[in-house]
Amino acid sequence: MFRHLGRRAASCTARKRTYSEFKHGNLPHSHSPITTDLEFFNSVRPDGQQIPTYRVLDSVGQPIDGSTVPEIDESFARKLYETMMLLPTLDTLLYSVQRQGKISFYHGEEATVVGSAAALSPTDEVLGQYREMGVLLWRGFDLDSIMSQCLGNKEDKATKGRQMPVHFGSPQHHFHTISSPLATQIPQAAGVGYALKRDPERRGKDCAVCYFGEGAASEGDFHAGMLLASTIPSPTLFIVRNNGFAISTPSSEQYYGDGIAARGPGYGIDTIRVDGNDILAVLGAVREARRRCVQQGRAVLVESMTYRVGHHSTSDDSFAYRARQEVEDRKKVDNPVSRLRLFLESRKWWSDDEETELKARLKSEILTAFKRAENLSRWELKELFSDVYGGDEPWNLREQREELGELLKKYGTVWEPWKKEREKFSGSGDEFLS
Amino acid sequence: MTVREALNTAIEEEMLRDESVFVMGEEVARYNGAYKVTKGLLDKFGDKRVVDTPITEMGFAGLAVGAALAGLRPICEFMTFNFAMQAIDQIVNSGGKTYYMSGGNVPCPVVFRGPNGAASGVAAQHSQDYCAWYGSIPGLKVVSPWSAEDCKGLLKAAIRDPNPVVFLENEMLYGVSFPMSQEALSDNFLLPIGKAKVEREGTDVTIVAHSKMVTHSLEAAEALAKEDIKAEVINLRSIRPLDIDTILKSVKKTNRLIIVEGGFPAFGVGSEICAQIVEGEGFDYLDAPVERVTGADVPTPYAANLEALSFPDTPLIVKVAKRALYRTN
Repeated sequence: MFRHLGRRAASCTARKRTYSEFKHGNLPHSHSPITTDLEFFNSVRPDGQQIPTYRVLDSVGQPIDGSTVPEIDESFARKLYETMMLLPTLDTLLYSVQRQGKISFYHGEEATVVGSAAALSPTDEVLGQYREMGVLLWRGFDLDSIMSQCLGNKEDKATKGRQMPVHFGSPQHHFHTISSPLATQIPQAAGVGYALKRDPERRGKDCAVCYFGEGAASEGDFHAGMLLASTIPSPTLFIVRNNGFAISTPSSEQYYGDGIAARGPGYGIDTIRVDGNDILAVLGAVREARRRCVQQGRAVLVESMTYRVGHHSTSDDSFAYRARQEVEDRKKVDNPVSRLRLFLESRKWWSDDEETELKARLKSEILTAFKRAENLSRWELKELFSDVYGGDEPWNLREQREELGELLKKYGTVWEPWKKEREKFSGSGDEFLS
Repeated sequence: MTVREALNTAIEEEMLRDESVFVMGEEVARYNGAYKVTKGLLDKFGDKRVVDTPITEMGFAGLAVGAALAGLRPICEFMTFNFAMQAIDQIVNSGGKTYYMSGGNVPCPVVFRGPNGAASGVAAQHSQDYCAWYGSIPGLKVVSPWSAEDCKGLLKAAIRDPNPVVFLENEMLYGVSFPMSQEALSDNFLLPIGKAKVEREGTDVTIVAHSKMVTHSLEAAEALAKEDIKAEVINLRSIRPLDIDTILKSVKKTNRLIIVEGGFPAFGVGSEICAQIVEGEGFDYLDAPVERVTGADVPTPYAANLEALSFPDTPLIVKVAKRALYRTN
């Protein structure tokens, strides 16, 4: 299917003609040529042709003929690989210790998330969905912070224990707080992009980067967000992870057209489809997408084709809607991690020993961070009522705090279940007892 | 000064004061706004700060929220709050909750404004009052102003507020003129969000109202005065935070409470005020049942005669006030 690469540009029109061929001129106030052909066009084409997928590495990690390997040096490439390896290791642990929790996991999307993160400037504003922990890790959000957020302890500076696990946020890392309702971040990204354009310090330097899945692209917010970013032009980079499934709904039921990329041109947005299991392709494509985005001050869309090897979340058993064998096959073929590893090995940037060492190190670092986080207490109890409003606190919050104080004074020191519960908070809720 | 001019002045003054304030929405720039509230702003501030958007409420409300999260202070105009339902997730889930969810790291200083409630002859889908909807959300501030002074002082305060503020105007009041005090003409005139105003003092019955119902309530108080009944009229101004103290203080004096609103009766502003009064010490001061005077519990009809029957008017308020005083049935 890749033999068409370079020969055919992504195009929704079935026929190619130059304007001069149209002898009847153009529609007034438009470049639309007048035609007498009664012809329809569609992203679903009679010949089955689809938008091409940009790729650099083949399935065994070697650059394919004619491809451009993005500029990377050894230490950068190793950081890519280590961050990629960190994600599944982290997932496995969180998955096993939080079987009942809502920890998403990421197998199969490491390349898209890490490769794109590596292509961004560290000050680009990221609005994620909830599979983009790799962006934070790439930017230096440490394991302790990850664990603290997932467990909601007193070091969870991102949310003070108020958000569901993996709903990170860190202004310091230019990473916006995750919002659970799907796709709300898409029009917001257009607003963040607009704010960047308005800021003389950041105009032409930073962009807003918005991640979402192909399922989220069915939401009205997707269409509204793309429309807004194109009509009120802003440097907003949309990265859609098309992993084939929106929880259990296969993408064939999510859309009939040619993926999400087919929609970009409808909004006048520069668009590219990339092999999401090829980290170098993602890196190269997102670097170029970002360059256009920042330079032109206009939105760009990248559709990254991946395959979610894991379940959607811990509350999902994906073997109910797809074959175990299919998943096993995909784990082996085009595995994003092994492709990069083979590439690194071919450049003598990686060895078996280093692989063994890395696996052991990551596992131990993660376990240490987890154990540490597990033993940390929660935020102070009074934080239940703070940050509802900035500025002066309305009476209703004060009243609720006072009411809890009364109850704690009455039962908090004598009733066993409350005494025990109090101990889990920093300061044991003493701020209510004095 | 008309309510429209007061709103326009408030926006202009705040845009002059703070570069990060901008106004956006459908037709706010070249067309000067569907109700001309943003008249002349495009000429004064240019298209970078007065932004026409495509017709997608979820889209431009989302853009406003994003811009606010990124440090700007957007004023997002809805042509009517009836259409803002298409954007309510952005207002409630993102605008209203992000500050809390982000551990106090990320404020969202956005103003959502536009006409709310019934206008005239625009039927069910354009005639709804959203005070109760937004008023139930912790994290949002909700304002329902009445006079030009209210509009100026409260809108300026809303724009400066670090929180998302839902600013519910009334189409029928846009063209109404109110006297403005010297103080209210100043470009630093702010009214505190969360404080009601006693528009008329009285000792016999408390009438609480907001928005256009303040007009009817004051008319009713005037009519009652002719029968020697001294009604106290409270202009609520803010729905959230609700100034229950001012209402309670009045009830302690009058021992009678009626609440007038243009919304539906169920789970409404009146219901909330009634609950808060009877749940607390206010209960002991009541000499008559609290009554809510509200819109009819039906989707608003188009036909003028039916529409008129669907909303409280002055005679109805007079009647209910007298009922509270056991002067009528």
